[in-house]
Amino acid sequence: MKPTQISRRTALKGLGGITIGLPFLEEMLASTAAAAPQAAVPVRAFNVFFGLGIPAPIQTEGYDGVFEPLKPLADKLLIMRNVDQVRCDQKGINAHFDGASGAFTAEPPDGEARAGGPSLDQVIRRAHHPDGMPADQVPTLVAGTFFRRSRVSRYVHSYNEDGTVAAMMQETPRALFERVFGAVNIADDDARTRRLKLSVLDTVVDQYRLYTGQRSPLGAASRARLSEHLDRIREYEQRAFALEQQRADAPKMPPRSALAHGGAADPGGEGIDITLEELRQEWRLLADLYALAIQTDRARFGSITFLAAGERIRLTGKYEYDGRLVHEFNDSRQLNASGSQGCSHEWWHRFNEKKDNQQLRAHAHMKLNEVAYFLSRLDGPDCVEANGRTILDNTLLTISTESGDGRHNDPKRELSGVFHAITGANGRFRTGQILDVNAEGLDVYNTMLDAMGAGRPLGPEKRDARAIDAIRA
Amino acid sequence: MSPVPGMGRRVAAALLVLPTLLMSLRTAHADEEGWAFVRGINLNGDAVVIDGHRYEADRDAKDFVCRDSRFENQKVQLRPGTDDARARMIRSSRWKPDGNNAIRLTNLTKGRYRVYLYTWEDSDPERFTISLEGRPVLKEHNSGKAGTWKKLGPWDVTVDDGTLELTCRGGHANLSGLELWRQTDGAVAAADAPSRSGLLALYTFDESDGAVVHDRSGVGEPLNLTIADPSKVTWDRGRLIVRSATRIASSRPAAKISDAVRRSGEITVEAWIRPENTKQSGPARIVTISGDPNRRNVTLGQDGDRYDIRLRTTSTSTNGIPSVATGSKTVRTDLTHVVYTRDRTGQARVYVDGRQQRAERIGGDLKNWDRSFRLGLANELSGDRSWLGELHAVAIYGRALSPSEVAQSFRLGAEGTQELLAGGAPETASAAERMFEAEIAPILARHCLECHDGATKKGGLDLSRRDHALKGGESGLAFVAGKPGESLLLDLVESDDMPADREPLSDVEKKKLRRWIEAGAAWSLELVDPAIYAQDAPTGSLFVQRLTVPEYIETVRSTVGVDISEEARELLPPDVRADGFTNTAYNLGVDLKHVEAYARLAEIIVRRMDVPAFARRFSKSRSIEDNPMKKLIGQMGRYLLRGPLDENEITVFRGVASTVAAAGGDFDEAVTYTVAAMLQSPRFIYRIEHQRGDGTWWPVGSYELASRLSYIIVGGPPDEALLQAAERGELADPDRCRAHVDRLLQDPRARARSQQFLTEWLDLDRLEHMQPGRERFPDWSPELAADMRAETLAYFDEVVWEQKQPLTALLNAPFTYATPQLAEHYGLPSDEGATTERRSTNGRRLQRYDLTKIPERGGLLTQASLLTVGGDDASMVTRGLFVLTDLLRGRVGDPPPCVDTTPVPTKAGLTQRAIAEARVADAQCGVCHVKFEPFAFGLEKFDGIGRWHDRDEHGNRLRDDGEIVIPGGDQRIAYDSSAELMDILAESDRVRECITWKLTQFAIGRPPGVAEAAIVREIYQAAWQDGGTYPDLIRTIVLSDLVQKTRTEPETTP
Repeated sequence: MKPTQISRRTALKGLGGITIGLPFLEEMLASTAAAAPQAAVPVRAFNVFFGLGIPAPIQTEGYDGVFEPLKPLADKLLIMRNVDQVRCDQKGINAHFDGASGAFTAEPPDGEARAGGPSLDQVIRRAHHPDGMPADQVPTLVAGTFFRRSRVSRYVHSYNEDGTVAAMMQETPRALFERVFGAVNIADDDARTRRLKLSVLDTVVDQYRLYTGQRSPLGAASRARLSEHLDRIREYEQRAFALEQQRADAPKMPPRSALAHGGAADPGGEGIDITLEELRQEWRLLADLYALAIQTDRARFGSITFLAAGERIRLTGKYEYDGRLVHEFNDSRQLNASGSQGCSHEWWHRFNEKKDNQQLRAHAHMKLNEVAYFLSRLDGPDCVEANGRTILDNTLLTISTESGDGRHNDPKRELSGVFHAITGANGRFRTGQILDVNAEGLDVYNTMLDAMGAGRPLGPEKRDARAIDAIRA
Repeated sequence: MSPVPGMGRRVAAALLVLPTLLMSLRTAHADEEGWAFVRGINLNGDAVVIDGHRYEADRDAKDFVCRDSRFENQKVQLRPGTDDARARMIRSSRWKPDGNNAIRLTNLTKGRYRVYLYTWEDSDPERFTISLEGRPVLKEHNSGKAGTWKKLGPWDVTVDDGTLELTCRGGHANLSGLELWRQTDGAVAAADAPSRSGLLALYTFDESDGAVVHDRSGVGEPLNLTIADPSKVTWDRGRLIVRSATRIASSRPAAKISDAVRRSGEITVEAWIRPENTKQSGPARIVTISGDPNRRNVTLGQDGDRYDIRLRTTSTSTNGIPSVATGSKTVRTDLTHVVYTRDRTGQARVYVDGRQQRAERIGGDLKNWDRSFRLGLANELSGDRSWLGELHAVAIYGRALSPSEVAQSFRLGAEGTQELLAGGAPETASAAERMFEAEIAPILARHCLECHDGATKKGGLDLSRRDHALKGGESGLAFVAGKPGESLLLDLVESDDMPADREPLSDVEKKKLRRWIEAGAAWSLELVDPAIYAQDAPTGSLFVQRLTVPEYIETVRSTVGVDISEEARELLPPDVRADGFTNTAYNLGVDLKHVEAYARLAEIIVRRMDVPAFARRFSKSRSIEDNPMKKLIGQMGRYLLRGPLDENEITVFRGVASTVAAAGGDFDEAVTYTVAAMLQSPRFIYRIEHQRGDGTWWPVGSYELASRLSYIIVGGPPDEALLQAAERGELADPDRCRAHVDRLLQDPRARARSQQFLTEWLDLDRLEHMQPGRERFPDWSPELAADMRAETLAYFDEVVWEQKQPLTALLNAPFTYATPQLAEHYGLPSDEGATTERRSTNGRRLQRYDLTKIPERGGLLTQASLLTVGGDDASMVTRGLFVLTDLLRGRVGDPPPCVDTTPVPTKAGLTQRAIAEARVADAQCGVCHVKFEPFAFGLEKFDGIGRWHDRDEHGNRLRDDGEIVIPGGDQRIAYDSSAELMDILAESDRVRECITWKLTQFAIGRPPGVAEAAIVREIYQAAWQDGGTYPDLIRTIVLSDLVQKTRTEPETTP
């Protein structure tokens, strides 16, 4: 099957009719997998996080319950139940934090803004690209639509070996666009000025090389930090000086986000009011752009977040799926409370196996619907790769969340049965199943890493590890 | 520990064990540290036992003189509460109507002593200064309100004339008890012991044969020496006899020594030798790091009957001349201890047998040492300056040993010094003490103190304090030293009966406990503080500090005079808060956006600069040729990049100028692009420091120290005066360093920096994004939030900088600043009489309000900026947690198994307090809630946006009284009003400690770890003894080892 070329002008339509034209794409085809039909399909790994989790008892309903939105992709997913992340528990902290930090790392957090170890995508990235990513790629792409941000681990889900965040979070469509596709505007500079600026950059690079080299006075962690800085300079250099042609019809930026970001998005934990329409519009535009980054091979590793761990929003709006009204959200009124007590988060606190938990189900259903939206953007006809499979089939996408139960009165229960789903990763893993793995997250992740050729496991060296062969194809 | 129903037979049997004397546990903790209790004296009271030590009645005490009057009032309620014996002692005291107390102890043997003093206040606060042997040890101490008592000290003093005098001057001091300890014989005072710190190379000549002299230092790669002709030497029982001329030298450069000395600017060469005669000269090289007879870094030599030392600095020749020489007839043919030291200020000393023979100042720094030079003994590397005699031990350090260290090393003798240095064991803490702090204290903090600390004491057992832990609880002793089988604590833990209803200890932790008890159960801490020992703060990695956005803006402004604030805030991503502050180094990473921003900002800056004028500051030459341009680059770089550039760096920047010249550019353009490159250099963006060493604490380099001082105090780069001080090595002198600190504290930017600290500590930026429910708070507006923030900042500014009060005064100073809108919000009286005004940063008018007649207001916690922490419902949980964690350094976990955390709404007949009291009273939940919610009881009358009410929306009457336990203590302290709660907090040592920790964290850009807790403790003690003002704390922090030194990363780390 011949690969489909990406068309010269790709129109991107998100909700609200926002269109982004990208006429320069053709110039980037030289670095895309689709442009080299004989080239191997690249290894990719992304972590997909959605906040607040799905209580384990509800997961048993499968596609007849909250999993319904994943059903169209059922044959491309392996849903894993009974994955236990209890080892990520940090005493005295609830699962929103340590569960979020443990998602994709299987380690308890190490401080307020550090994970206990690297995340899946970063381990795989370093295994396959020990010398760094090509300069035309974003080494690690981290993006998300979220609001609660009291701790970094709630919303960032890619971590370096030392547990520090692997890349800056791009939390608006515009920021994501700039990160992936933004060109440094030096079009107005003449050749002489460009040459002189390049000389300045060369000098700066030399300085960074000095301080990251053998004779650097810095310790290991500091050298690693400056090494990352140097990588960013190289990336900057590529964008600023490698693009020989500047387009007169430069791509249009996405509009500025109308939602709250930064400090305004998290007013002291009290939550914000938002409609389903607003949330979806922003998220789907972000998801489209993220998917486009993968399609154009600008990113092969990273993480994307739909709502933070322990998210605090008071959602309103009608939620329809498959032509029917699933639920009309009005958290504050239905909870009869304002502030933090009126947020959707509270439905998880009130989960009761003996009740119908209607509101919680509706929220969880909606979240999986949005996750499915993103996944489907990697599965279309324009995503078929050299081996005849789609990007979704060929990529390792790990979907997870922070807890298996929202009630904070049992850490073991909170961190047991944490929802996980993965894609086939080019035939490495079984798909089309819902599997009760009954295993520790660490063992599941290490089995995944082994299959991905990562060359090293997560977690402590001295440990009775268990391979979860049931997930492998 | 209380018996748990259903406990097994084994455990039940253990409970029948009667309490036994802990014979193997030493109750005099100080004995383990090298101090022994000498005597205690009850000043105006009978003999009594305090903390297991007998206090004599002062009437009967011998060798004791005190002519002060006697006073007693046993009716005063003491704060904090204490045991009866101590309370009785405290409330009877000696005082002097004229405020001049004097106590003298006589007939003391020579030695080092440690003094504690109990004081208390029976009436109004007094201020007085305490001195020992005429030297003030506590200045302007505030005795506090009636009932306040303190055990002051410890103060260490050397007694060499048999007499110790303590005096007190100023206000009326009530002195209740005196405690005296003596440093034990044979124990080496930590400050005086020769230390391995800074050791670079060590030769002990314990080989029995062969041609190699091994470096035993264990530092970096061994710098072994080869004997060129072994037939010329004899090995003999720990010495090498050099009988005739040969070379003993390293085959490779002594780079580890040269690099370390270049960094530190200090050196010590120590040698135990026996010269063969008093005639050999040259000087005959005993120890040398050199290239040839005319080029050296350092040489210790013998010149006839003198010792002669040559040292290369930027002020001496490459041959190290002029040298420093001892007087004639210094050399003997006996075993001799010779030491040469030279510190960063340039002070060089020569000691022979522990006594200083010569002191001179050798100017310049040691940055010109040649890394290629090798190390040689008993001859020059060329072989023509031989020295004959015996070598017993040779050590080289990258720091200057103190005179007392030199003397101590001499006293230890050649073998003693060898053992000490080669053994590698730290001299002070025993292995058992280290084990307790490193392994057991964290276990107790994480697993036991939730239920068994001073506030909870389940089963009557408090495991947070040593003296309480040793006593055991209702079930008897918790552990028996050396007898795991008889230790109830271990039994319960190993059977998972404890911790009750919590995660059991891991197998590893259980084994650690067992090993600890087997080893004698040494308990080396007075207090196991969960804030220290339960934390998981990373201490391993050192992260280079990137300039934060405000620091970047200030650095640009200070160095090149351009205000880039608007563009920088727009282009640079905001710094993210981590561990409570935005300057936490491990979280200051960069992404592409940063790089783009730095490049863009550099362009804007150079466009706005007057580049020619800037260049003229450093050089009059406008030549673009190599030499003048390199010189200019060197000077500009030193200023812009906060320290001298080496040749490589100058060459790299020169490349830019060359490219400009090649493109036909002129001088101005060349400088413009060079400056643009410097503005993006890692040395501009980051505070680059030397972090590699031997894993021990090393003094930071002088330029690094200049940067640290300046960024900590004013948030900007070192000015020219500080750079010059760094260049001259002046900052190594504590007095000169302190003078610069005081100078910087006068800078207006120090004030702004302090406001930044406050803003981050109390998270005032939160106010900007508040959205209280509109229905409930219809009068809310963003302007009101801005006014609240302005109030707290203005209040802080006056207390700290105008009134110059201790920082604890922030808790209860009876005034505030408010806009008319905020005043109305608070219900303050009209501004009649308010004469002082300020302007907030957004231009709103703030008036000063005296709150002495409005007791419910006055202090940070009564300001809306903090009261809003609880959200719309004024959550007692949230407010209480804030006080616990951010004012008292307390720690409590999230809700444990048991509780339905769904908030219970208030209604008629049910207040927030009543709901909170139910949580506190709950048998399982109360263990945590009792530790923090009572702090919020005193704030119940303030609603979610800081207004005061006597009744809530349901008409329920509100209260503001309560009872609290301060973390780290066990005394219940009652308060009748919120004002009284504020007073209690203002007087609390724990609040002082917390402020110290917070400010220290802000200063060093990371939370201090367990390993640094002792230093922070010293900072706390010293700073609050000095007065506890913001400048006092900052001064103490920057003069402490946390700032003056760096914990280096071992060179072997890959």
